[in-house]
Amino acid sequence: MSRTGSPGPWFAAPVAIFMLLCFAGPILIVTWFSLMPSRTFELTAAFTLENYVAAISDGYARPMMWSLLGAAITTIVTALLAWPSAIILHRYAGRWATLVSALIALPIFISESVRLFGMSVFMMPRGGILAGSLNAAFGIEIGSILNTWNAALVGMIYIHLPFMLFPLLLGVSLIPADRIEAARDLGANRWQVMREVELPLAAPGLMIGALLTFVLCLGANAEAAILGGRAVTVITAAIEQRFNYAQDWPMGAALTVGVIAITAAIVLPVLSRLDLNRLTKR
Amino acid sequence: MRQGRHLSALRTLWIVAILAFLYIPIVSVVLASLANTRYMRFPHRVWTLEAYGDALSSFTTWQLHSISLSIALSVVVLSTILGTLGAVAFARYDWRGRTWFQRFMVLPIFFPQPVLGLALLLTFTAIGIQPSWKTAALAHLVWILPIVTLVISVRFFGYDVAQEEAAYDLGATHVQVVREVTLPQIWPGIFSGILFGFLLSWSNLPLSVFTSGPDTPLPVWLFSRTATNYSPLVPSVAVIGTVVSALIVVGAGLLLWAGRRLR
Repeated sequence: MSRTGSPGPWFAAPVAIFMLLCFAGPILIVTWFSLMPSRTFELTAAFTLENYVAAISDGYARPMMWSLLGAAITTIVTALLAWPSAIILHRYAGRWATLVSALIALPIFISESVRLFGMSVFMMPRGGILAGSLNAAFGIEIGSILNTWNAALVGMIYIHLPFMLFPLLLGVSLIPADRIEAARDLGANRWQVMREVELPLAAPGLMIGALLTFVLCLGANAEAAILGGRAVTVITAAIEQRFNYAQDWPMGAALTVGVIAITAAIVLPVLSRLDLNRLTKR
Repeated sequence: MRQGRHLSALRTLWIVAILAFLYIPIVSVVLASLANTRYMRFPHRVWTLEAYGDALSSFTTWQLHSISLSIALSVVVLSTILGTLGAVAFARYDWRGRTWFQRFMVLPIFFPQPVLGLALLLTFTAIGIQPSWKTAALAHLVWILPIVTLVISVRFFGYDVAQEEAAYDLGATHVQVVREVTLPQIWPGIFSGILFGFLLSWSNLPLSVFTSGPDTPLPVWLFSRTATNYSPLVPSVAVIGTVVSALIVVGAGLLLWAGRRLR
């Protein structure tokens, strides 16, 4: 097919322009603001790096660490929960597979605030769904992890599990069944089959799932607000605090640029390796 | 075979546990909505639908829904038009720079949403645009448009270009080819795009929370009331909002089905 006379660029133009204005544009403006002197609201001053220096000396490394830690833990736990689920659904579930997959996808379309609210009434001490039921049925009194960092982690794992499971299901479905048979016939045990055959073949799905989960968790703040009771300050909460209450836009912008830089450092290398045509063309 | 049965039971148990983990909070919302007490005290002494009556007669409920609906409908219209054009460039034609376009398009999906929301908020305020439901719709679009484009693109990859050429050979005009050949073929993709756009916008919290200004969409209201001012109204509005979105989706599906039968 001729590539030069193609109408492709014309069709791409409206979307590309929108994305430049509303995605690249804001990133540029935030970056610009981050280089302005503290507490200014204009973009006209001379560039300075003081906000970045202050961000580190003012202790903003800590919220960043909480967010990174939360994202890492959530990614690992969701992967460990999703891997066996994907294998079971792909290989053994048979006619149930479609129904179960649909049930796993469904919560994505129910608002995060509804589901996190549900998690909080479930976890609530004394009159909560779990504590209340246990008390009424067995007379057992239990404590609650609500308003702790652990509760926020459970919430993040809960919200992001479907984002890990779905790409992984896609990845696992790329494993040809005869390849596993062949490995078994050649004497591979269960562990070897997983390490040598399944994991490498499902790698694109696993990578997308991990990338998606990690990046979404990096900015997540609703979990820490609703379930964590703000026991720890995550980076998004710190940025919001700078923007709204402290009215210090340049500092908030510098923190935002920090998150964007970390995201880019993780996403761009992986994305440049993935062949999008191969993944969507199935 | 004894061991095989154990394993199979274990597998079923695992899947049931995962589903339970995903659905217990959703069931909890429904259970919490069936009370009439100011504080949550489960199991309820009185099981009642009172909170639903209160929610339906409250002006706030209607206002929240109409704001969410305005945002979601704008997002659906714009993302479907732009997304279809984008999908044509993404998957239908091979052109120089396509790989870059594809990578640029998926980038916003792999971007922390609250951070995007904050960046947009700063930009809107800096250039003097008052945040409202319109800016929230714009913010949603940045994240939803790439997803809709991808959803429609998947359909285009399985599309046979030869059909268009055949239609041209038979003397069809450009408009006729688009209307009679291209659109019917990719229509399922567009329909999924519409559903994705609607549901993702309707349920979005992280973008709305920073960009909707004084207009409060449903998820933002729920978020703020969960944190500070709990009453049985909160879970009942949560259930109503979710059911409304499900009804709209089912309604759209029925409309599509009826349209097919009429033709």
